[in-house]
Amino acid sequence: MSRVIVVTSGKGGVGKTTTSASLAAGLAKKGYKVAVIDFDVGLRNLDLIMGCERRVVYDFVNVVQGEANLKQALIRDKRVDNLYILAASQTRDKDALTEEGVGKVIDDLKADGFDFIVCDSPAGIEKGAQLALYYADEAIVVTNPEVSSVRDSDRILGILQAKSRRAESGDAPISEHLVLTRYNPERVDSGDMLAVDDVVDLLKVPLLGVVPESQQVLNASNAGEPVILDEESDAAQAYMDVVDRFLGEEKEHRFLTAEKKGLFSKFFGK
Amino acid sequence: MSKIIDLKGSILSLTVLKLYDDRFEVTRDALEQKVAQAPDFFVGIPVVLEPQVALADATFLALLVEFLHQKRMIPIGVRTEDEQIKEQAEYAGLAIFPNTPDKPARPEKPRAASSEDEAGLKSALMIAGSVRSGQQVYAKDRDVVVMGSVNPGAEVVADGHVHVMGTVMGKVFAGSSGETGARIFANRLNPELVCIAGMYQLAEDIDDQFKNGFMEVRLENDKLVFNPDCLN
Repeated sequence: MSRVIVVTSGKGGVGKTTTSASLAAGLAKKGYKVAVIDFDVGLRNLDLIMGCERRVVYDFVNVVQGEANLKQALIRDKRVDNLYILAASQTRDKDALTEEGVGKVIDDLKADGFDFIVCDSPAGIEKGAQLALYYADEAIVVTNPEVSSVRDSDRILGILQAKSRRAESGDAPISEHLVLTRYNPERVDSGDMLAVDDVVDLLKVPLLGVVPESQQVLNASNAGEPVILDEESDAAQAYMDVVDRFLGEEKEHRFLTAEKKGLFSKFFGK
Repeated sequence: MSKIIDLKGSILSLTVLKLYDDRFEVTRDALEQKVAQAPDFFVGIPVVLEPQVALADATFLALLVEFLHQKRMIPIGVRTEDEQIKEQAEYAGLAIFPNTPDKPARPEKPRAASSEDEAGLKSALMIAGSVRSGQQVYAKDRDVVVMGSVNPGAEVVADGHVHVMGTVMGKVFAGSSGETGARIFANRLNPELVCIAGMYQLAEDIDDQFKNGFMEVRLENDKLVFNPDCLN
């Protein structure tokens, strides 16, 4: 039974694409067959984060408009088996996508035996974002611990409840998960950032994981590698926890408190 | 000093003459017939023209204005979006009204639209969870009960009372059709705005002492009263 997951946030720059890439890679590493689709037509980024930008021949829009078939457009990841990327078009805009066209691509992926189809939503609440969430069974809402991001996530949660296919057909609602990214416990302690409890309190969505703010995320993006594959890093471990919890495992949340710097590290900086 | 003039916007009801034919003679004959049925009725009435077809004849509006004056009607303007007609209207000395749609569609439907059936018990509108940013809930002719919170950027409107089991952080309106006895109850009230029967207060005008714990808001002598002790 394939499941369609939308990774969304409302606000831009909070880590949707990073989360999509790591979630997809993490699920694939567990042995599932995973496709990750970039819905951000016109501002494609996922291929960069996945390091396959030079291998894009046909893209999502080509498939939606019938100019290429799915097999031609799916890019196989070189590092992880069973992981496929469907890149967005950089030269078109969001009007190139249609509800029927997207639905057909998703149905074809399901028929192809994909276990998970991860939809990387564009920012905003307009057509592109609405198409990305329309067919979803599960939603991962990515939020930064900061008021405007939380407000926008609240808005997108309302849209998930109102404008998805599940909402329109009266099926069981999309199950919602929260991933808090760029979390910096020291700045929470100093009052510059919202604490995880405050965010969960307002959004009332089960917390899937907290990803600490980390230089490795930036390094991984620049290197074109999902950060989850950089197994030593905090961010990768946080994303692995996210994947495990998504698959139903109970795990204690990590990276919530500031590390006490020992005398040694105080002297030597780090 | 007494006022000499006062320029104010106002909404007036005007007679609109819709034009379905671009031939002046045909239009004139049809008007002639219409006026003949009740000649007195049309004397002195202001008329707005609304062409439903493109007017290829550049003299159409000028001729029509002339004819309407003959019939002692007063053409004052044209309602159109057509550039060519706008140009003709300018020559004919007519005002131009933009052709706005009758009713702008609401951008987003309220999640839980109040049910419209008039029969039976009008019980309160129940909202199962929280009302999220950007959502609007309207309980027509009844109370609303929100089991969760009203988040920042959300709006809850009721013609009756508003009950919120969680925290109000958005906007709440009770008695929105003018019921001054309507009240707002919240487990915690830290709103953007509270309003009862049109009397409202913004967050910054609400004393911080009222922003903790259970709160009732009601209207007394046209003033909002915050009452934390209503349960005692």
